[in-house]
Amino acid sequence: MAQGKKSNNLKLFNRNTFPLFYFLILFILCLTIMGLDYRYKISNEIKAEISIINTPVNFLINLPETLLLEVKNNLVTKELLEEKIKTLEQNIYYLSIKNQENKLLRSENKLLRNKLKIHKKFNIVGVNAEIILPNVKNGYGVITINKGIKDKIRNGAPVINNNGLVGQIINSTKSYSEIKPLTSIKFAVPAIKDSGKENVILYGNGNGELEIPLFPARSKLKVNDIFMTSGIDKIYPKGINIGKVIAIEPTKSPKFNNILIQPFSQPTSYSQITVLKIKKND
Amino acid sequence: MTKKTIIQKRQENYLITILALVSLILSNVALPWTENPSSMPNYFIALIVIFVVLEKANLNLSKLFIIGLLVDLILGQILGQYTLIFISIYALNFLIGKILIIKTETQILSLSSFIILFSFFVLWATSQSHDIIFPLGLLFHQFILTLFILLILKFTINTFTTK
Repeated sequence: MAQGKKSNNLKLFNRNTFPLFYFLILFILCLTIMGLDYRYKISNEIKAEISIINTPVNFLINLPETLLLEVKNNLVTKELLEEKIKTLEQNIYYLSIKNQENKLLRSENKLLRNKLKIHKKFNIVGVNAEIILPNVKNGYGVITINKGIKDKIRNGAPVINNNGLVGQIINSTKSYSEIKPLTSIKFAVPAIKDSGKENVILYGNGNGELEIPLFPARSKLKVNDIFMTSGIDKIYPKGINIGKVIAIEPTKSPKFNNILIQPFSQPTSYSQITVLKIKKND
Repeated sequence: MTKKTIIQKRQENYLITILALVSLILSNVALPWTENPSSMPNYFIALIVIFVVLEKANLNLSKLFIIGLLVDLILGQILGQYTLIFISIYALNFLIGKILIIKTETQILSLSSFIILFSFFVLWATSQSHDIIFPLGLLFHQFILTLFILLILKFTINTFTTK
């Protein structure tokens, strides 16, 4: 019998009155806060100011990797360094030949631009940064970098690496910034095929790929076709590689296909990226 | 209803603070065997559910509102999302306590599972990604992992607090 036991763990029906009025007030307050934050992005501003809480967390989760790298750097041998120098020298030689080719192409390009009267310039200026942890935040994929507001990084700036587009800055604090990867849900970027045809918008599918949900079936597109930024949104500069087509899937409607695109950039922890600053001149 | 001593209350308050800090760190660390970050356990939901169900740390609507706001500021997508979830957890637990006797371990676990699923529903409904189709496999994976974390938390609470 329940009454006879007198146990500390015994929990019968809750006889307190439920604070319904207070709950309703808080419930409405929550909805109001959500609405206001959605419209005015208050949380981003507060997050930028209170990075004092997240900075030690970021430091703690990066500590093992930082220590490992420090130890590795300190224990590097002469033989390894010589090997590295040799590889770098080879790279310099290869790049200097490429540079000569680029100089020639640049002068040719300048002449052609003058003849065709094209005034638009690619004014791309960037800040280099390194990817640190975390790469996930409460179930959402993010890329965290070691530069923030003090390095003149602002929300909304596009981010690239040597392979192509990486994403966009969504939260910038004093000492670090967070990037939304281009494959995450709700990410969209205007793109164009490298041949200069097929203006489309690519969407992240949250599964490591981008997609074009309703692409006309009559348009000529094949696997391995490359897409790059078209620049029409004036956020992402024109001509940055995005990815290549890996699958053309039929949809319920025979008039449209679903196109899957694999991004070129696969940013890993402790690799370099560049946060762009673009001067709008058109 | 048994009254808690000041030492017991202090113990529970320390414990929830320490566990919240651990949850904060773990929420920023990806599990090595999961490729998709969405299939991570939700540490804060597990923490609040177990503390509310076991009636530890004297959590009430005001405290949960403040904790929710802090979680929103540190980890949330939008302000008010976790605040809404935490006060809903409190309300649901309170109302279920009005109509059902929750006594055995199985009952506590069943109630916790139900509240976790309800929390996931609120999280999904207030999510900024606005996905109409929710992948059920992912939900199941996340639910199992969160339940596992809840069991670890329950064991920790039982070990470090006096009954």
